[in-house]
Amino acid sequence: MSMDGMETVSAEQPVQSGEAATPLLELRNVNKHYGLNHVLNNVSFHVGRAEILALLGDNGAGKSTMVKTISGVVQPDSGALLWDGKPVEFNSHADAAELGIETIYQDSALVDSMTIARNIFMGRELAGPLGFIRLKEMREIASHVLRTIVAIEGIDSPDKLVGSLSGGQKQAVAIARAVHFKRTLLMLDEPTSALAVRATEALFEYLRSLRTQGLSSVLVTHNLYDAYRICDRFVVMGRGQVVFQATQKETSVEELTEHVSRG
Amino acid sequence: MLLHYGSWQKGIDMKLQESTTEAVAATREQRAKAAGRRYRRQQSAFDILIIFLIVQVISVIYGLINPSTFAYNSFANIQNALGAIPVVTGIPALGVGILMIAGEFDLSVGANFIFSSILMAQLNTNGLSVWLAALIGMAVGTGIGLLNGVITLRLGIPSFITTLGTMLIWQAGTLFVHGASSQPFSPSPVVAVLFTENLGVFPADFLWFVVLAIAFWALLQRNRIGNHIFAAGGNKQAATATGVRVDRTKLIAFSLAGACAALGGILSASQIGNIAPSTGDVLPLQAIAACVIGGLALTGGRGTILGIVLGSALIYWISDVLLLIGAPGFYITAPVGILIIAAAAIYEILRARRA
Repeated sequence: MSMDGMETVSAEQPVQSGEAATPLLELRNVNKHYGLNHVLNNVSFHVGRAEILALLGDNGAGKSTMVKTISGVVQPDSGALLWDGKPVEFNSHADAAELGIETIYQDSALVDSMTIARNIFMGRELAGPLGFIRLKEMREIASHVLRTIVAIEGIDSPDKLVGSLSGGQKQAVAIARAVHFKRTLLMLDEPTSALAVRATEALFEYLRSLRTQGLSSVLVTHNLYDAYRICDRFVVMGRGQVVFQATQKETSVEELTEHVSRG
Repeated sequence: MLLHYGSWQKGIDMKLQESTTEAVAATREQRAKAAGRRYRRQQSAFDILIIFLIVQVISVIYGLINPSTFAYNSFANIQNALGAIPVVTGIPALGVGILMIAGEFDLSVGANFIFSSILMAQLNTNGLSVWLAALIGMAVGTGIGLLNGVITLRLGIPSFITTLGTMLIWQAGTLFVHGASSQPFSPSPVVAVLFTENLGVFPADFLWFVVLAIAFWALLQRNRIGNHIFAAGGNKQAATATGVRVDRTKLIAFSLAGACAALGGILSASQIGNIAPSTGDVLPLQAIAACVIGGLALTGGRGTILGIVLGSALIYWISDVLLLIGAPGFYITAPVGILIIAAAAIYEILRARRA
């Protein structure tokens, strides 16, 4: 009787651990050429569930192309992307967005001549029948998200034009947008480059809280100290290849620095 | 006693503190509301509305002082103005303006205006019901706009070039189907009521203009399509990255520009009873001028419907005033030119200051 129970458990366990081991996103031997330039050379790595992964590397290492590939903007020449263990093909950004991949770019994808509220809901407007938008509701949500999640100085109204914001404030708006539309995988391409210290801390705090909710993030950054402080695992790229992978416990800032600078 | 006083004092302090936090929150709320109002006013066509009202007040007062030499306030002048603004510039400018906000141009609106209305008049003369003829005219105009969009987006060339080309093509098209002479058009009485009758001082086409302007305002400011039009014109990459279907949005804007040009042509034909092919030549530049005066950016992404309406009205106002004071008609385009440059310069200064 008890043996039976034991057997059931042991029979089920491998399946369960197998499920848990399936990464959220896996890249296998991804290649991309721009003319003669081999920008992604057999790149393979994965993003786990509820983890913050750092994608590191010097300028020209292929990080940006990698981000664009994952967000569906760039299509690889060969190789496979697996989402939840199933092969997927991103022909456009919309395909990636549908799975819940949200990207915050270096030059945050905002329209200067539109208000903060309209930017946050751009492409995903709250609309009723015939496409008429619920502007008041959008303004209230925008204002709430900006106040509570990305506490940043100087944004006094969701009706302000994005063009009149500073670089850091713009990043905050882009982050607020990503955060409001809770995604499964958040990709941040140099998100802190224009942020003040306080805003950076707020962002990291937020990434941690996303992790406890089971969401994953990929952080692309030059700042190895920041990366080491917040990330669970590191993938270092150099000249289009993955040159080093380690978890936070296995490595140190010094080791990461060495791999990044050696390429 | 002292102790008692102390605790009493403490209670007061706490109450004070509470009310201060509340007051801080309240004032922050108020400040945010005030800021919101300020930003919304800046983004409306508030500046140009003020300018428009000032010139109107000055003109009206001057007309009251000199009624015999400056007949600005006469019934005929007001009715003429309200009748001419929509068809001469206003309605085509609405379409051109929406397309400009989407980041594209249409120089072919004048040729479209003439071609669609002449086609309608000819079909009607040949025995087709005026309703069906007008519907075909509208469909052809919309199709011309859509074709501009398809060519521009498929070939990846600037719409300025595309529509410069299609302008010449449709001008030739008019010559082909009709010739260079003017085409008479006399709508049946029922149609005349809808297109040309006056409601008090308001001509029918002015009412059409108002209805259309309100509909376009709703589309631009309160509809998802409008949000996408601003996004497509303001930053194409950003719009694409957030999932806006930029090409589809632009095709809608191109089609609206074509539809407005045709509607302007049809209303004009009904009002004047005649279509002269050469009258379409100045229309595209005049429509773009109205949009620039109304605060639209040539680079796209910025503009208001009220601005387009007031821009059209201001262009008419200048020529009206000059004609009333008896200035030689030959020079009338010069002040319009000055107005365009001045308006563009003023908007640039305002934008730089607010950024």
